[in-house]
Amino acid sequence: MSLIFTDDQKSLAQTVKRFVADRTPLPKVREVIAGDQAYDQKIWAQLAGDLGLAGLTVPEEYGGAGATHADLSAALRELGAGLVPSPLVACLLAAGTLLALDDEPVKRELLPQLAEGGIVGTLAVSEPGNRQWIPASPATSALHAGSGITLSGVKEAVLNGAEADVLLVQAAGPDGAGVYLVRGSAEGLTVTRNEALDPTRSVATVTFDGTPAVLVAGDAAAALDRAADLANLAIASEQAGAMLACLTMTTEYAKIRYTFGQPIGAYQGVKHKLADMYTTWALCDAALREATRAADEEPEKLGAAAAAARALVSPGYVTAAKNTMLLHGGIGFTWEHDAHFFYKNAIAGNVLAGDADYQLDRLAGKLGV
Amino acid sequence: MTSIDEFRTRARRWLEQHAKPFDESADYDMEGSSVPLEESKRFQKALWEAGFAGITWPKEYGGQGRGAEELIAFSEEAADFELPTGPFVIGLGMPGPTILELGTEEQKRRYLPPMLRGEEIWCQLFSEPGAGSDVASLQTTATRTENGWVINGQKVWTSGAQYSDFGAIIARTDPTLPKHKGITMFVVDMHHPGVTVRPLVVATGQAPFNEVFFDNVEVPADAVIGEVDKGWDAAVVMLRNERVAIGAGGRARSNPLSYDSLLELARARGAHTDTAVRRRLALLYARESALTTYGRVLHEETTAGLQIGARGSAAKLAGAELSLWAADLAQDILGGDVVLGGADVERVAAAIVGAPGGATAGGTNEIQRNIIGERVLGLAKDPGVDRNTPFNQLKLSR
Repeated sequence: MSLIFTDDQKSLAQTVKRFVADRTPLPKVREVIAGDQAYDQKIWAQLAGDLGLAGLTVPEEYGGAGATHADLSAALRELGAGLVPSPLVACLLAAGTLLALDDEPVKRELLPQLAEGGIVGTLAVSEPGNRQWIPASPATSALHAGSGITLSGVKEAVLNGAEADVLLVQAAGPDGAGVYLVRGSAEGLTVTRNEALDPTRSVATVTFDGTPAVLVAGDAAAALDRAADLANLAIASEQAGAMLACLTMTTEYAKIRYTFGQPIGAYQGVKHKLADMYTTWALCDAALREATRAADEEPEKLGAAAAAARALVSPGYVTAAKNTMLLHGGIGFTWEHDAHFFYKNAIAGNVLAGDADYQLDRLAGKLGV
Repeated sequence: MTSIDEFRTRARRWLEQHAKPFDESADYDMEGSSVPLEESKRFQKALWEAGFAGITWPKEYGGQGRGAEELIAFSEEAADFELPTGPFVIGLGMPGPTILELGTEEQKRRYLPPMLRGEEIWCQLFSEPGAGSDVASLQTTATRTENGWVINGQKVWTSGAQYSDFGAIIARTDPTLPKHKGITMFVVDMHHPGVTVRPLVVATGQAPFNEVFFDNVEVPADAVIGEVDKGWDAAVVMLRNERVAIGAGGRARSNPLSYDSLLELARARGAHTDTAVRRRLALLYARESALTTYGRVLHEETTAGLQIGARGSAAKLAGAELSLWAADLAQDILGGDVVLGGADVERVAAAIVGAPGGATAGGTNEIQRNIIGERVLGLAKDPGVDRNTPFNQLKLSR
């Protein structure tokens, strides 16, 4: 049992960090989000292909690297710190959901492509008017007619829905809720990319109107529960990295910005806020380490550990990003400064794949309260 | 089975045979325990003989020479039992590690083994009525004599002084130097006739601390821990150990404000089905678990030879904030019953009243924030107008 990073994890994190600094630093991210693409295709190809991040935790038999969740988390922290737009989290959710299902032909077809970044996959669960990230009983319905199945309904906040080649959709079928596979090119599928608060993350509203689909065999409830854990791990990892970026940026500023003859960090009004940011980050970092450790070593504890990490990290990041703006003063409120991108990313990320209350309810459930 | 698992199993078996399982209904007592001192001493000795005292200390000074993993394994197993080891916590947590780091070979051989065996109890003598957050402004003096030193002054907030055999005291040895420079740390014999101990009653009505008066108390020259006039460095070492010791408190059921305890309290009152209470309990679990994990991360990093520096202050701050937060939750779970008393309420009420004490003991939250800001994040130091002024020219609280 170890909670400290292995040499492999440190080296992977260094590689990703260098990649972000060289190929996709924040000025470059600004160019990407000013355009009409959700992310830079070339960067995504390199992240998935050269760095192998899309298939990192996919088992080798399905074309992945079979690495640990702690490894993946170390890489995601660096992408989060750089606010790098990519469909990585969406693809991880799609692959994780498939891996938790039992449909061997579908797995054999899709997992290798997801693992190498050849296709973009995503998970579509949230519905309008329902605060549960994974509805207990979805309104989206699957009509089994003759040899075919068609879906009807609306899914919201679908990560990279507009860019997805394949969508895994939760819908109510004749035998209860199931996970259905829909191709991005299917008829009767309308995808509208949202004008989202956070420009670094592409989300879409997806409408199914008699859209052809295939039922993916397996225990849908268990697979989606697993997907919720993986979403918590991935999002908390990105956010822990982003939080540290906020803390580092603001600490540096507090050392070089002078008022009344002293660096502002000398004043307790600033120093104590930064100390609180550090302490919150240290606890969030610890909670995340415990969650990835559970994922790799004690899967039965993953549900609680991942929800606990998420329940701390997401609100902690919002506070850190807010304080980053506040402690930078006027410059922190300008478009030119990067602080607002972190703030928006934090606010959107706080509700992504289940808001704070959802995570606390989920945690209480896992704890048997 | 790994050697850690074997160690854990052996610890569990020993504890089952020798220690009392934790008793929920027992009165919460800030003083630690109502166990007679002799019984505590016998238990500590047996603990040492079984190989569970000084787990990470070197063998030549009576320790077990094992790693942090064994220490953590033992602590986890011990959480289910009520160990009457309260009187030894200070000595083994603060003066002990400080002597281990800074003491002479003679001091290590003389003091550490009896400390581990429970034969000699230690206290820490730092705070003074006029020197709390600003401990370095202490006014207790140690004056050189022919054979050593003579100590005069007053200390306060001293845990266990009433039954301690020795104390680690810091006193001013050169008032013409700036305040941090002229301090020395000594071993003082608490049985000296010039030492007077008086209990200090706190907000909970209990007296977990003492005031200690020193009236011409002589100590020999070899009582100095570290170097003469370098006592502040020794004090920093000791306070660092204190913060790790205070902050790393895990999910012990003996704490009435822990997740386990408050869940039980909420269940007993049917409050756990209330959505808001249920969410706050879940958040308590998350925060408490994160703090426990953070303590483990610091332990693992220390074992791996990494410097944890002042990060123990973050654990201390987080622990204090968590207790205050949990005290608020406990009040809401109790509702109107908080004012009524009764067996299960009294225990929690005492902990609620006691929570602010945790945010002061071992350095206030504000002091921890200064430490984190300056020593972890490297922010500019407080201007410190008194930093370079000779101590005897400073304005002081008396």
